[in-house]
Amino acid sequence: MKELIRVENVTKQFSGHTALDNVSLEIPRGGVYGLLGPNGAGKTTLIRIINRITAPDKGQVWFNGHPLAPEDVPNIGYLPEERGLYKTMKVGEQALYFARLKGLSRAEATARLKKWFVKFGIESWWNKKVSELSKGMAQKVQFIVTVVHEPELLIFDEPFSGFDPINANLLKQEILALKDKGATVIFSTHNMSSVEEVCDHITLINKSKNILSGSLDEIRRSHGGNIFEVDFKGSGEALREALLKAPCTLLDSAASDDEALATPNTSSLKVHIPKDEDIRSVVALINDTTSLRSFREVIPSMNDIFIRAVAGEL
Amino acid sequence: MSKISIIAGREFNERVRKKSFIFTTILMPIIFVGIMFVPALMMNIQSDEQKEILVVDQSGLIASRLEDGSGIDFTPSDKSFEELTTEERESNPFGILIIGSDVATNPSNVQLFTYESSTINIESAIADQIATIIESEKLKAYNIDDIDSILAEIDTRVSLKVKQLGESGEAQDSSSMLNIALAYIFGFLIYMFVFLYGNMVMQGVIEEKSNKVMEVMVSSVKPFELMMGKILGIASVAITQFVIWVVFILVVGGAAMNLMGVDEMMAAAGSAASMDPVAMAGAAQMPEVDDELVSLVATITNPAYLLRILGGFLIYFIGGYLLYAAMFAAVGSAVDNEKDTNNLQLPITVPLIVALFVMMSAMQDPHGQLAFWFSMIPFTSPIVMMVRLPYGVPGWELALSVGLLVVTFVAIVFLAGKIYRVGVFMYGKKPTFKELFKWMRYKY
Repeated sequence: MKELIRVENVTKQFSGHTALDNVSLEIPRGGVYGLLGPNGAGKTTLIRIINRITAPDKGQVWFNGHPLAPEDVPNIGYLPEERGLYKTMKVGEQALYFARLKGLSRAEATARLKKWFVKFGIESWWNKKVSELSKGMAQKVQFIVTVVHEPELLIFDEPFSGFDPINANLLKQEILALKDKGATVIFSTHNMSSVEEVCDHITLINKSKNILSGSLDEIRRSHGGNIFEVDFKGSGEALREALLKAPCTLLDSAASDDEALATPNTSSLKVHIPKDEDIRSVVALINDTTSLRSFREVIPSMNDIFIRAVAGEL
Repeated sequence: MSKISIIAGREFNERVRKKSFIFTTILMPIIFVGIMFVPALMMNIQSDEQKEILVVDQSGLIASRLEDGSGIDFTPSDKSFEELTTEERESNPFGILIIGSDVATNPSNVQLFTYESSTINIESAIADQIATIIESEKLKAYNIDDIDSILAEIDTRVSLKVKQLGESGEAQDSSSMLNIALAYIFGFLIYMFVFLYGNMVMQGVIEEKSNKVMEVMVSSVKPFELMMGKILGIASVAITQFVIWVVFILVVGGAAMNLMGVDEMMAAAGSAASMDPVAMAGAAQMPEVDDELVSLVATITNPAYLLRILGGFLIYFIGGYLLYAAMFAAVGSAVDNEKDTNNLQLPITVPLIVALFVMMSAMQDPHGQLAFWFSMIPFTSPIVMMVRLPYGVPGWELALSVGLLVVTFVAIVFLAGKIYRVGVFMYGKKPTFKELFKWMRYKY
C-alpha cells in the first residue's frame, strides 16, 4: 500500500458554514506533504479530523489501510499552530511529562530529550520556567515534544512562524532529517518558499475544496504555461524577425526587461510555444539565426501557482 | 504506568509544591486550634490579674462577707463615696461599690462606679455574691436550725447521661453536644472541600484550554483520561491536605490538652470507654472531673465511633467530590474564561447550597423526613449524611445512599466526559445548556 493516509470525500460543516466540502486526498508514505491554502480555507479542520479531534460529518479517513481509529492517534505527532505549554512548569519537567504520556519510559524519555536539547542548543533551559521563554524558544521546546516519540506521522501547522531565519533553517533541516528516517510529514503553511524547499507533494485547499493535488514537481511543470527562456549571442532583431515565422509567440514585455538585464555578450527573450507545436523546429530556427547559449522552460514558483489557483485562473 | 496516573501525578506534584498549598495546609490547623484554645488560655491569663474594688457598705451586712476571687479583691472602706472620689487615692482601684442601707429589702440599691470599663464577668460575680448573702440573711430570719446542712443537702446538680439504644438493644454512649459539633464540622468540611477543590478542577481545565495544551495532548491522551487524571490528582491533593490536618490537630490538640492538665481526664475517659463498671465508678468518684466531659472524651476516643465518622467522611467526600468535580470539569471545558462560568455553575452551586440549608435543619432532627430524603439524593447526600452519621444511621440507609451516590457519579462522569470531549476544542462560543445537552450526544 502506497499511501499512509487516504481522505475520502470528507465534508465538515459548522453552524452556518462549510469548513470542508467533499475533500479527498492521498498522503503517500514517507516524504513531506504540503497542505496549502489561504487563511480559513479549512486546512486546520482537516488536520483536526486526521487527529481525531473532530469527526467528519460525511466521508472517511483511512490510516494504513484501515479506518482511522483511536489506537492510531499515538502514532501521530501534532504541532498545533497555537503553541500549548503549561506556563508555570519547568521546561525539562514538562517535556518529560509529555514524552511519558506518549508512552516513553522515564529513563528513555530523559535520554532522548537530553539529546534533542543538545541538538537545539537549549540544554541550559531544562530548569527554566516556560513563562520565562520567548515565543521562539517555547516553540523549539514544543517541536521537541512533538517529535520525541518518533511517531509514524508528523503534523506541523505553521511550524516556522515566530522563528528567525537561522532557527527556521535549523528546524527545516530537522524536518528533512525526520523524513529521511522514514517519517511521513504533513506540513501546513502559507509560506510558499518553504514549500518549494521541503515538500514532495502538495494539496491546495481553497474555500473548503481541494483545488490542486499532486507531486510538487509535476504541478510546477504542468502549470508552466509553456513559456521558454532563450539565451543567445547575436542579433536580437534578426532573431525576433525569424521567430515571427515560427509557431510561437514572442513575449515582448518580458523580453525587453530581460534584454536590459542581459550581459553585453548574451541576450535573452521569452517565447510561448503552444502545447501541440513542435519545440524542436523553434529551437532549430533559433539555432540557425543566432548562437544559442541556453533554452529552458520557465517553471513558475509555488507562489505564482498559489495566487493564480486561489484567484481561479488555473 | 497508566496515563491517568501520570496525569494525576503531575496535578498532584504541581499543586502540592505551590506556596499557597503549603501556606493553607499549615495555617488552617493553626487557626483552627487557635480558635479552640486561645480563648481558654486567655481566660487563664486574665484571672491572674486582681482588680481592687473599694466597698462602701451602708447596710453593714455585705462588705465583711464578700469573698475575694474571680480576679476581684474587695476592700471595705470607711470613707464615703464623696471622700473616695475627691481625696487623693492611695491605691489604684478598679472601682467603687456602693451598697445601699436598705439593700436587704431593696436589692437594686447597689451601684458600681468604675475607673475603667467594666465587664459582664465582674458585674455578674458581684451581683451573684450579694444575692447569695442577702438570700442567706433572709433564710436566717426564719430561724431554722441546721440551716447550712439542710441547704447543702438540698443543693442538687443534675448531669444527664445519654445512652443510645442500638437495634439489638445495647446501650451506647451518646453525647449530643459532641454529635452536633462533629456533624457541623464534617458536613461543612465536605461542603467546603467539594467547592474548593471542584473549583480547582474547573480552573485547571480552563487553564489547559486557554493555553491550548489540550491540542498538544490530544495525540497522546484521550480527553477522558485527561479529565479523570486531573480530577483524581486534585482529589489526592485534598486527601493529603485532610490527613495533614487531622494529624496536626491530633498532635497540637493533644499537646494543648496536656498543657491545660486534661490528661487525667483522658485517663479516666479511657477506663470509662472500656465500659468496666468498677473503673466507671472510680472515674465518677474522681474529684473535679465533669461527668459530661468524661463521656465526651470517651466517645471521641472510641475507635468504632471514630471509624464511622472518619470512614464516612472519606467515602462521602470522595463520592461527592467526584460527582461535583466532573460537573465542574464539564463547565470548565465549555467556556473560554472564568467569567463565562457563572451561568453554567448554577446546577452545581444550587444543590450544594440546598444541601447546606438542609444540613442546618437536619442537625435539629437527624432522623426526620427531610434529613432522610436529602441524605439519599446523591447531590446532597454527602453533606446531609455527614450530619446524620454521628447520631447513628441504619445500615440499609447508609448502603442505599452510598450505592446511589456511586451510580450517579459514574453516570455524571460519563456525561461530563462527553461534554468535556467536545468542549475543550470549542473556542469562541459561550455555550448554553441546550448546547451542552447536544454535546452529550456527539459521537466520536
